[in-house]
Amino acid sequence: MKTHLSALFALALALPTIAGAADYTLQPAASTLGFAGTFQGAGFNGTFGKWTATISYDAAHLPTSKFDVNVDLASAKTGDKDRDTALPGADFFNIAKFPQAHFVTTAFRQVGTQVVADGNLTLHGVTKPVTLNVTFKPQGTGALLDVAGTIKRLDFGVGGGDYADTSVIAADVKITAHLQLAGK
Amino acid sequence: MSLRSDNRRWGSVARFFHWIMALAIIGNGIFGLLMDLAHGPMQKINWLALHKSIGLTVLALFLLRVLWRLIDRRPPDEPGPRWQQLAAHAVHGVLYVLIAAIPLSGWWFNSVAGKPLQWFKLFNLPSLAAKNQNIADAVFALHEYLFWFLVAVLVVHVGAALKHHVFDNDNVLRRMLPFGRPKNRL
Repeated sequence: MKTHLSALFALALALPTIAGAADYTLQPAASTLGFAGTFQGAGFNGTFGKWTATISYDAAHLPTSKFDVNVDLASAKTGDKDRDTALPGADFFNIAKFPQAHFVTTAFRQVGTQVVADGNLTLHGVTKPVTLNVTFKPQGTGALLDVAGTIKRLDFGVGGGDYADTSVIAADVKITAHLQLAGK
Repeated sequence: MSLRSDNRRWGSVARFFHWIMALAIIGNGIFGLLMDLAHGPMQKINWLALHKSIGLTVLALFLLRVLWRLIDRRPPDEPGPRWQQLAAHAVHGVLYVLIAAIPLSGWWFNSVAGKPLQWFKLFNLPSLAAKNQNIADAVFALHEYLFWFLVAVLVVHVGAALKHHVFDNDNVLRRMLPFGRPKNRL
């Protein structure tokens, strides 16, 4: 009886780790969060230098998986002086009012062989649903996580007013992230 | 109205190239100087895009014009002192060089500044050089100095044409006028 109890107790302790997704720690130095847009017909790439991500993931337990990402918008860099001066300003990110963007998943779905994360992105004071493709590759105790999705910048009022002209600044902005994760 | 030039006047193709390019070059030059009057950065972006598109059009017209010059013989020089004929040819040569050099220097500046180059929002052109902010100011200065040099040469070109027309009352300008008729030679 006593051995049975302790066995049950051990099983109860073990259950959350079996049934739930595993937690990972982001390795910022080896990870990138990027965005890609089009200006006057030419593509440009940008990165965010400062961001954090809380990742719980298990391909076998998608309902308990969760991504929670905070992005410091002032850290956006595209390599063009004019653009990098304009991005934090009131016409684009307006970092004085909205210094951070936040993405949190609401559900994960399996679409064929592709895992898709549904979530809410809060950017420029606007919260809208965003869908990301998820590619998760376990590596030892850690993992490599790649996500990609496309957002419409005007859904979030980024580049409104004169800058709303999508024949100059395209509507679609591609978001990509490459995360090097360490097991906890 | 002959397409090709004959002994007495420039053909309609040569005249078309001359006047459409004169209009585009002078217009785009003035437009370029007015860029800072744009209301806000987006209007400036759009004005600059238009300035670049017109400049590229001038460059394309220049190439077509040179090709046409290879096919079409130019009318022989009007009678006049030899030095004036040589001076006219020299001025024309410098104008041809500047008509190509000014758009090309603008394209070069656009390239070293790392900006995209789009023709009337229809298609993009490649960079002429790698991005290099260190020389961007110098290349822009070159673009502007070439333009002011063009203005100086145009003063000579236009001045000489008007002198022939008004004071000499000869055929030099008349044979290039879009709708003018050359005088009968005696």
